[in-house]
Amino acid sequence: MLAQLVLNGAALGAAYALVALGFVLVLNAAGAVNFAHGDLVMAGGMLGAVLGPMAADAVGPVPGAVLLPLVLLLMAGLGVLVAAVAYLPLRRKPPVAVFVTTIAVGIMLQNGANTLLGGEPRAAPPLLSGGTVTLWGGVTAPEQSLAVIAAAAVLIALQVWVFGHTHTGRRLRAAAQDPDMARACGIPVTRMVLATFAIGSAYAGAAGLLLANQYFVTPHAGGDLILKAYIAVTVGGWGSVPGAVLGALLIAGFEVGVSAALSYPVAQGALYLTLLLMLVLRPQGLLGEAARRRA
Amino acid sequence: MSCVSALFAALVAGPAAAESLPVLVPLTGFLSLEGTSQRNGAVLAVKEAPASLSVTAEVVDTGTSPEAAATALERALSRGTPPAVAASMLGTQMLAMLPLAQDYKVPLVTVSGTASITERGNPWVFRFFPGDAVTKSAHARYVVEELHKTRPALIYQTTAYGQSGKAHLEPAFATLGAPLVFAEGVDPAAKDLLPVLTKALEAKPDVLVLHLHSAPTALMVRTAAAAGVSLPIVAGSAMHQPSTAALLEPAELKGVCAETAASPVSGGTPAMEAFTAAYRAAFNAEPDAFAVGQYDGMRMVLDAMGKGAKTPEQVRAALASGTYEGLAMTYRSDGTGNMAHSAAIVCYDGASRVPAVVKRYDGAVNGAVK
Repeated sequence: MLAQLVLNGAALGAAYALVALGFVLVLNAAGAVNFAHGDLVMAGGMLGAVLGPMAADAVGPVPGAVLLPLVLLLMAGLGVLVAAVAYLPLRRKPPVAVFVTTIAVGIMLQNGANTLLGGEPRAAPPLLSGGTVTLWGGVTAPEQSLAVIAAAAVLIALQVWVFGHTHTGRRLRAAAQDPDMARACGIPVTRMVLATFAIGSAYAGAAGLLLANQYFVTPHAGGDLILKAYIAVTVGGWGSVPGAVLGALLIAGFEVGVSAALSYPVAQGALYLTLLLMLVLRPQGLLGEAARRRA
Repeated sequence: MSCVSALFAALVAGPAAAESLPVLVPLTGFLSLEGTSQRNGAVLAVKEAPASLSVTAEVVDTGTSPEAAATALERALSRGTPPAVAASMLGTQMLAMLPLAQDYKVPLVTVSGTASITERGNPWVFRFFPGDAVTKSAHARYVVEELHKTRPALIYQTTAYGQSGKAHLEPAFATLGAPLVFAEGVDPAAKDLLPVLTKALEAKPDVLVLHLHSAPTALMVRTAAAAGVSLPIVAGSAMHQPSTAALLEPAELKGVCAETAASPVSGGTPAMEAFTAAYRAAFNAEPDAFAVGQYDGMRMVLDAMGKGAKTPEQVRAALASGTYEGLAMTYRSDGTGNMAHSAAIVCYDGASRVPAVVKRYDGAVNGAVK
C-alpha cells in the first residue's frame, strides 16, 4: 500500500505541476496573476470528458492520449481569446484590473460549462487503457498513474527546452522581462504575449485532461486548483519554473503523505502552516531569488 | 340579468391570467447538479398541473449566496403574491428566505436537508425530503439489522452536509450496539482518497459507511474497487444519483448500497415509471430523489389549489394539515413542516448502474424510522 501511495502522490504531483507551470508562465509573461487559470484546467478536463464520448460514438473508444493533442490545440485557442479579452486591453492599467477581468473570465467559464453541460461530475477517458501493470516487487500500479507521470514529464521537459534552448523561447522570455526593450529590438511583444497565454492554457488543458480521468471534473473544480497553483508558485518561488514543479510535488506530498500518516484536515492545516512559515522565513520561496533593495 | 352581467364582467376581464409559481433554486455554483434536479421536478409538476388550473413556473437561479436567494424571493413577491414558492434546497439560502416568507406570508416548498429550517417555528416552510434524522436512522439500521455488521468505519465530508450526517450516524450506530471503529472527515477538494481508505482498513471494519458528495462518493467507491476491498459499502444519498453511478463501471458498484428518499430510475410503480419517462423526455436526463421530492411537493400544492385553495394562507393550511400520496412516499406534516418520514435503501448488483430498492423504512417517529 505504501508503494501505491507514493505512486499516487507522484501522479497527483505531476498533474499539479502542469497546473502550476501554466500559471507561472502567464505570470512571467504578463506580470499579472491569471485567476482564470484554474477554470482553464477545468475547461481542459471538460473538453476531454465531452470529446471522449463523442469520439467513442463515432469510431469507438478513444484513449485520452489521442485526444490530448486536440485538447492542447483547443485550449491554446482559448488562451489566445482570454489574452485578447482580459489582458491586452488592460496591460497599461494597474495589475488589479487584470486580476478582476481574469476572475470574470473564470466565472464565465464556470457558468458556461454549467449551462452547456450541466453540473454533474464527468470523467475523461484514461490516457491509455485504464488497466494495471505489475512493477518490480510485485507492486501493482494503475496504468493511468504511470501515464500521467510520463505525459507530465514530457510536457515539462518540452517547456524547459523551448524556453531555455530555442530562439522562440528566448524571444518569449525577452518580451516578458522587458517588453519595451524587446519591442525596440524588433520582437513582436503582443504576439509573444498571445503565444504565452496559448502555451499556458494548453498546459492547463493537459492538466485538466490528466486529472479528469482519475478525479473527475465539475464546472466548479477550478477554484481549488487555482489555489493550489498559487501555493505551489509561492512555495517554489514566484517566477521560477523548477520552483513551481517542486511546489506542486510538495502539495501532492502533503495531500497524500500527511493525510495517510495523520488525517486530511491535519494535512490541510500543515500545508497552510508551511506556507505561512515559508512567507515569513523565506519569502522568495524555495528556489526563488531574493529581491534586492536598490538605493 | 345576473347571467348577463357575469358574462359582461368576464368579457371585460378577459381570460384569467396564469398563476405564476416562482421556482427559486441554485442552477449555478457548487449545488447546480442538485438544484437543477429540484428545478426540473418543480417545472414538471407545474407542466402536468390539472387542466382546471392555469399555472406557470417562473424559474430564477439563486446561485449559492443567501443574498441572491433573498433578493430573488423579494423580487418574486414584489410582483404579486403567489400561492407558494419552490424554494432553494441550499440550507443557508433557505435560512435567508424564511423571514421574508413569514413577512409576506407565502409557503416555501423545498427539498433542503438542513435540519434547522424546520426548527425555527416558521409556519411557512414545508420540506419534502427526509432529514438526516430519518435517512441516517435507516442507513444505520440497514447496516446492522440487514447486513449484520457491527464494526462500521465512517468516511464523511467536512462540509455542513457531512458533519450533519456524522452527527446522526454516530449515535444511531451506538444505539444499535455497533459503535464506529473509525471516523474521518475529508474535504470535497481532496483528490486522492487512498490515504483515508488505508487508515479506515487498519481499524479492521466489517463495513464502509460513506457520507460524501457525488464525485467523492464515486472516487471512494472506485478507489476501494481498485484496492481490491471486498467489504460492503453503504453510502449516502449521493450514490443513488444516476450521475454518480455514471462515473463508475457496473463491476465497481458490486456490493455498494445507498440510503435515499427514493430512486426514480429503479421504477417500482407505474406512476413512478411514468414520472421517470416524462422526466427523461422533458430534460434528457435521469431523475433523482431531489427531483421526485420537489415534484411531489409542488403536486401537493397544485392538489390543494385544485381543491379550492386560492390564497397562500389556504395553501399553507392545506400543506400543514393534509396528507398527500406522492410518488416517493405519503407526505404529512409533523407540525413543524417536515413532510417526509420515509427512507429507502438501494443496492447495485454489479451488472447495471440502476440500483434496486431492497428495503424501505416508513413512518418515522421522533426522527427515527420504524
